[in-house]
Formats: sequence, C-alpha cells, structure tokens
Amino acid sequence: MNFYALLQAVLNGILTGALYGLIAMGMALIFGVMRIVNFTHGAFLMLGMYVTYVLFQAAGMNPYVGFIGAGLFLFLFGWLTYAGLLRPIRGQADFMVILLTMGLSLVLIDAVQLIFGADYHQINIALLSKNVRLGPQISLNAPWLVSFALALLLAFALYFFVMHTMFGRAARAIAQNRYSAPLMGINVNRVQGVTFGIGAAAAGIAGGLLLPVFYLFPEVGNQFRLKSFVMVVLGGMGSIQGAALAGLVLGVVESLTSLYWGNEWALAVDFAIFILVLSLKPNGIFGSQRV
Amino acid sequence: MKRWQLILAGIIFVVAVFLPLVIRTDYTLQVLFRVFLFAALGLAWNLVGGYTGQLSLGHAAYFGVGAYGLALFAKLGVNPWVALAIAVILALVSAAVIGSVSFRLRGPYFALCTIAFAEVVRLIVKNLPNVTGGDVGVQVPLLFPTSTIRSFYYAALGLTMIAFGIIIWTERSRFGYYLMAIREDEETALSVGINTPRYKLLALLISAAITAVGGALYASLFLYIVPDQVIAMEISTEIAIVAMLGGAGTALGPIVGSGILETAAELFKNIFQEAHLLIYGALVILVVLFLPEGIVGTLSRKLHFFGKAPTAPLTASPLPGAKEEAERVSAE
Repeated sequence: MNFYALLQAVLNGILTGALYGLIAMGMALIFGVMRIVNFTHGAFLMLGMYVTYVLFQAAGMNPYVGFIGAGLFLFLFGWLTYAGLLRPIRGQADFMVILLTMGLSLVLIDAVQLIFGADYHQINIALLSKNVRLGPQISLNAPWLVSFALALLLAFALYFFVMHTMFGRAARAIAQNRYSAPLMGINVNRVQGVTFGIGAAAAGIAGGLLLPVFYLFPEVGNQFRLKSFVMVVLGGMGSIQGAALAGLVLGVVESLTSLYWGNEWALAVDFAIFILVLSLKPNGIFGSQRV
Repeated sequence: MKRWQLILAGIIFVVAVFLPLVIRTDYTLQVLFRVFLFAALGLAWNLVGGYTGQLSLGHAAYFGVGAYGLALFAKLGVNPWVALAIAVILALVSAAVIGSVSFRLRGPYFALCTIAFAEVVRLIVKNLPNVTGGDVGVQVPLLFPTSTIRSFYYAALGLTMIAFGIIIWTERSRFGYYLMAIREDEETALSVGINTPRYKLLALLISAAITAVGGALYASLFLYIVPDQVIAMEISTEIAIVAMLGGAGTALGPIVGSGILETAAELFKNIFQEAHLLIYGALVILVVLFLPEGIVGTLSRKLHFFGKAPTAPLTASPLPGAKEEAERVSAE
C-alpha cells in the first residue's frame, strides 16, 4: 500500500465526511433539543434525493440548485411530522418514539417505492466525468468536490444559526433545561417544531447533494438510519460541532477500512466504534457542550 | 396475571392443539406457525422488555445465532438436535457479552446499543463467506423426520407454551418481583439489596435461549437462510412490536399481539401486495399513538376499572407522618 493510495483514501474520506457531518448535525439538533431518536432520518435523506431528482427530471434543474428545493420540502415535512406525530407522544418512553419513527420510515420508503418503483436511478450531468488532479497520483472527483464545498458551507451556516441567533439560543436553552426554558418566555412547541424541521432539512439537503454521486433507490437512506446516530454519540450527545467533526472522522475511518480490509467491513467498524464509545466514553470524544 | 387472562390463554392453547385436525391447507398452517413462533419470541422479549423494562431492539442477534448455529454445526456433521443445543449455548454466550455491555446504558442508548450489536453479528456473518456462506446463504437441516408443516406448527406451539409457563412462573416468583422492581426504579431496586446486574442478565439469558430456539425452528422450516433475512433489524422490531401491540409486561399480550399482527401482515401481503409495508408502518404508528399500553394492557385497566374494588388502597402509601398530620388536623 503506497503513500499516494493512503492519501487518496484520506481525501476521499474527508469529502464523504463533510456530507456525513451535515446529516449528523441535523440528527444532533433533533436529539439535543428534543431527545428524539429519529429513525426517520435516513428516510428524510432519501426524500431529499427524490425531490432533487424530480426537480432535475421534470424541470431540468441542476441538482446543485435543486437541493435547496429538497431542503425547503423537508423543512415543511419535518415540521408537520413533529406537529402531527411526535408532539402528541411527548413525555412517553424513548422506546415508543423509536418505534414511531421506525414505522414512519417504513411508510415513507414504501410510499416512494409505490410512486417511483424500486429501480435504481442515476442522474447524468456534465460534471460527473470531470476530475480534479492534484499532482500525478491524486485525483478528486469534481461532483464530490462541489458537494463537499456546499456541505461545508451549509454546516457552517447551521452552526452560526444555532450559536449566534436568538432562535438558536432558544433551542439551546430548551436543550439545557426543557422545564425552565418556557419560564423564560420561550415558546417550546414552536421552537421544537422548527428545530425538527431544520434537522430534517439538513438530512434532505445532504440527500440532494448526494444525488449526483450516489445511486437512487427507495431504501438508500437505510444505511444512514443508525450511522447518523453513531456520529451523534461519537461527537458527544447533542453537540452539533462534535457531530460535524464525528462525520469527518467516520468518513475517513470508513475510507481507510475499505482500503485495508475491504468495503464490506466499513459498516461493521462503524458499529464497533459506536459500541466502544458507548461503553467506554458515553459523553463522546469531542467536546461536551450541548446544542 | 388476572384470572381472565389465564382462562383465555388456556382456551387459546386447547383450540390451538386441535386446530390442525380442522385445517387442511399447508398455507394456513404456515401462517399459524408464524403466529405461534412470534408469540413465543414476543413472550421471550417481554421478559426483558416488558417485565424488566430493558427495551431491546437487537433480539435478531439471538434469533440469527440460533438459526446459523443449527445450520453450521449440522453442516459439520453434528446431529441436528445436538446442533440446536450448541446454537442455544452460543446464543447464551452472545447474550452474556451483549448484556454485560448494553445493560450499563439507559433509555435510548440501551436500545441503540442492542441494535448495533445485532448489526455487528449480521455483518460478521455476511462478511465471512468461508465460514457462514456469506450473502449466498447456507442450507439448514430438517429438525423433524417428516417434512410436514404440522410438526413445525406443534413445535412453535410448544415453544409458546414453555415461554408462557416461564412468564407465569416469573410473575409469581421472587425473581419476577425483582425484575419488576428494576423496571420501576433501578436505583431503588439496587438500594434495597437486589443484585440488579445479575437479574437483568438472568432475564436476558432466558430470553435469548427461547429466541435462539425460535430462530432455529424458523430456519429449519425454510431450509435455507441468508444473513439479511434472519439477522435483520426487521426481525428485532417485529418481535418488539408483537409484544407492544399485545401489551408489554402482560403474559397474554404477546400471544394476542402476534395473533393480530401476523395474520394482519399476511392479509396485507395478499390484499395490498406492494403497499403492505406502508400499511404495516401505519399500524405501528397507530399503536404508538393510541394503544401505548397494548391491547391486553388497556383491556386489563378497563376491566379493572369496572371490577370489584380492591381491599387494599391502589395508590402509593401516604408519606410518612401524613396520617398523623391528618389526625392532628381533624382533631383540631
């Protein structure tokens, strides 16, 4: 295994990792503010991919613009999900929330399969065949690079929004203490609804950005069901910057696992890390600040 | 355990024993096999999830170890029944490992950790094709000399009866009270001297053993298994939902839950075909929203409400000193 192969794997891992980070930030926001273990997160990502796909096929919209539509759609969808399904069972055991979000995930995947069929799709844009060469041995795929840049930008925007706006402050107040937040005049229902919407939108946007580089099929989100929670735990419960960092780390770890042991072990290593972190350092590896 | 639940369970078992005399089609018997298989699995899950309050979503691990243990040891030339026994021992070992790590966690982390363990088991089985056959799958021997579905039906029914018996015994034993004390408040249980890690593990071991036998039965009926089929997250959730639908922490619940869920799932498959998962998912959502205590749990509470008032107060005993305070106030 030469040095260039290693460097290439690390760079590819970072490119994937930024998108993982965006997905994980959405999950961390939802988990941090509401303690909701969202098993629909993968289905949200899948919906984002399909919205971008439909915009591309029907209106000819470039996926690098179309992801905005996916974000808006998922924001609304997330808000409605929270208001219609999750708010009524607030206060029930976490396990019921897991079951409910699993049920919703099944419904969404099957609905998409009924509408679009189970076939694999891939979109074709001019950018796909382009590569950016860095020196003689290293080359990066152009659409991955664009997705990476946009994901990074959006991750910073989300971070700024949560850390430096009044809304973000309200969300963090609820995360710190959900009983005293309403005493400070925070409309908990509204903030939680919007937060869930933003979390879903982050997954949807990541889906839109993944569309040019991934195959599209109804169950595409399943691989992110548990993985997004692996990143949340790795990053420290509910810390969005931790989750973003964990996304990058996981991207690189997966890429290196694929290089040395083969692609099929990447997911197993993810879960092994998850179990190790949960049992040895349940507060996560990065930082302890909550959302 | 209320007496009506025991009577109803008795009726169900008696009818179930004679049912194959009436039913002639293999298809119906196969559906009924699934009903009792998942009733047994739901009862096993209930011991850990319903009575001890440790809501596992990784029981597919024990199911899969049971299925693969039977298949792989039989492939080495071991008698299928001996292979089944080895599979159960393997499931006990994996339960000990999984329990020792995941029981330290609470709430959603426990559930997520059990899912992660089941996924690791699935991926190991998937990625070691030289040992397990990998994605291609592996052949499973028949456990019964006659290949009729009827023997499998009776085996599943027997497993359900054993699991039900264990639950009934648990409900009346000191062991069962320890488990329920852990469910209600683990710290308090620990503080009154219950060795909570030991009893949680014991509950999981019993549960895993039954689940492994169930997995082996399932595999032996299908004769051929692949990892994504027997160690799937869908199996784990189906087991949990069977128990939740019927009523977690009730002895009759999983039997009722499995009867409804498995026949409904089969009907959905025939009626709605491709949309059956959509209907199934919607059913799960409805159960969580409207029947969080499950059918038997809700029914039990309703019957209790209309039944004879208990002689002892149902509510928690008043705070120490409250009685004296009340007497003092009334004396004034």
